[in-house]
Amino acid sequence: MSGRVGVCMATSGPGATNLITGIANAMMDSVPMVCITGNVPQGVMGTDAFQEIDILGVTLPIVKHSILVRDAAEVPAAVEEAFHIAASGRPGPVLVDLPKDVQFAQTTEDFGFHIPNATPTVDHDAIAAAEAAIRAARKPLVYIGGGVKIGGATQAVRDFVRATNIPQVSTLNALGTVPTDAPGMLGMLGMHGTRAANEAVQEADLLIVVGARFDDRATGKLAEFAPNAGVVHFDIDASEVGKLRAANVAVVGELKTGVEALTQRMRAGAALDIQPWTVDCARAAAAGAHRYDAPGEGVYAPALLKEISEAAGDAFVAACDVGQHQMWAAQHCRFASPEAHITSGGLGAMGFGLPAGIGAKMARPEATVVTIAGDGGFMMNIQELATLKRYGVPLKIVLIDNSSLGLVRQWQELFFAENYSEIDLSDNPDFVKVAEAFGIEAFRIDRRDQVSEGVQRLLAADGPCLAHVVIDPRDNVWPLVPPGKSNAEMMEGS
Amino acid sequence: MSDTIHIQIDRADGSLQRLIGLVERRGFHIDGINMADEGSFRKIALTVRGRDAGRCMDNLGRQIDRLFGVRRIGNDIIQSEAA
Repeated sequence: MSGRVGVCMATSGPGATNLITGIANAMMDSVPMVCITGNVPQGVMGTDAFQEIDILGVTLPIVKHSILVRDAAEVPAAVEEAFHIAASGRPGPVLVDLPKDVQFAQTTEDFGFHIPNATPTVDHDAIAAAEAAIRAARKPLVYIGGGVKIGGATQAVRDFVRATNIPQVSTLNALGTVPTDAPGMLGMLGMHGTRAANEAVQEADLLIVVGARFDDRATGKLAEFAPNAGVVHFDIDASEVGKLRAANVAVVGELKTGVEALTQRMRAGAALDIQPWTVDCARAAAAGAHRYDAPGEGVYAPALLKEISEAAGDAFVAACDVGQHQMWAAQHCRFASPEAHITSGGLGAMGFGLPAGIGAKMARPEATVVTIAGDGGFMMNIQELATLKRYGVPLKIVLIDNSSLGLVRQWQELFFAENYSEIDLSDNPDFVKVAEAFGIEAFRIDRRDQVSEGVQRLLAADGPCLAHVVIDPRDNVWPLVPPGKSNAEMMEGS
Repeated sequence: MSDTIHIQIDRADGSLQRLIGLVERRGFHIDGINMADEGSFRKIALTVRGRDAGRCMDNLGRQIDRLFGVRRIGNDIIQSEAA
């Protein structure tokens, strides 16, 4: 949200283990974070002491780095190093574990970690090779990943696509990098992507991949992903280049400087001759545009989400939970910037939406932050309503309630012969009463003709406010690429 | 086919666990390990092989190189040998 390093603290044992999902989420989505955990005194470490957990060992696979501080004199350097590592290069979580005896000791030691000067360098040979590949392509496509936002390269990518007129697709975490409604932006690719985006990828003869990692939800069956395309891959993390898809041109380094250098070269040369391709892409985008005229009187969640995002305008920030509503938000909301869309992309952690919304609103009080949650995920961190009330955070919550774990139900319907198991949440509590019990304004929307008034009420509320939106449990997310299938095999609903 | 990767890594809490965990997590069996402490760092020779044909030794090398505390790993110190 702010791009700055987030900090969380927890005590030893269960306090530390309760951080694990959050740490894993930060690792998967490259979020800079320093986690400070307590531990038992060093003298009893390794004895199964009360609330002793080897949190450094537990978190090793899900941190960028971790430090066990064994001497108070090492604390200043460890903290400074942790912040540097968390924020530099490809960001991620860093854990600093402090045994109790270290916490109680005193030190006069000053910060001692030397932060190296890192001047971004540009691989001009690679940039020249990228330019040559782009000029040779007839159907180039920009594949934008979440690394663009993280690397502060949003404007650089916007300038590049404006200079070249190359169509673009976006990953979930990159939505808004190029505004959703900009010409040339074909939308999200992958499992719940747009038909125009997925078809463009399959047709493209060159993918210019910027800060993306060929995640399986984006690529579908990898062997059949973009079968005709060469790859120019920009990433700050060398280990991502060639990990899943070989790159014909690798540009490893800071995205901002790399993309700016490429744009400069493209501007210096002739305009690209790709008009037939851009026309085809624009035609496909128009043909596949979403419709909101489904019959019936029930609430159509995609239309409601679209209406909220448009009513809030450029101030809109969505903090999504995980599930069908998350995909509907990704497909239908208008995002003016990548910071306008906060989502648990890599980990897909249900329960993310409410605490993420609280954090986003505290970081950007001027924004209209809306948590978009489903009933399943909302129940996983519902206690955070107390935090909302305690700090008086004027967060808006859209709780889309289909009385089920909707995305799991959808898969069981489509891929497991309607063998429904453990998805029924029809015994949910009354969410309006629950919110009111926490002292939070709440109201219910269960008919389509209540939507506009409800959206206005939600956005106009002075304090925190929850709209409990009841939808048909049979509503599914479309289109859908079945798991393990190629992105060319999209299913459409009725 | 197995490969031996030579790594220099800082002697810090969890460094060995971090390295071995990464190798196994990324889909490689560790067939052998040889380690000697030298001052503030460790010299480690790991003999590894991919669990399936899709595991790429170059990728593993880059992932190891990304670990903080790893001082040296590179093609010049990766030696292939018959399994």
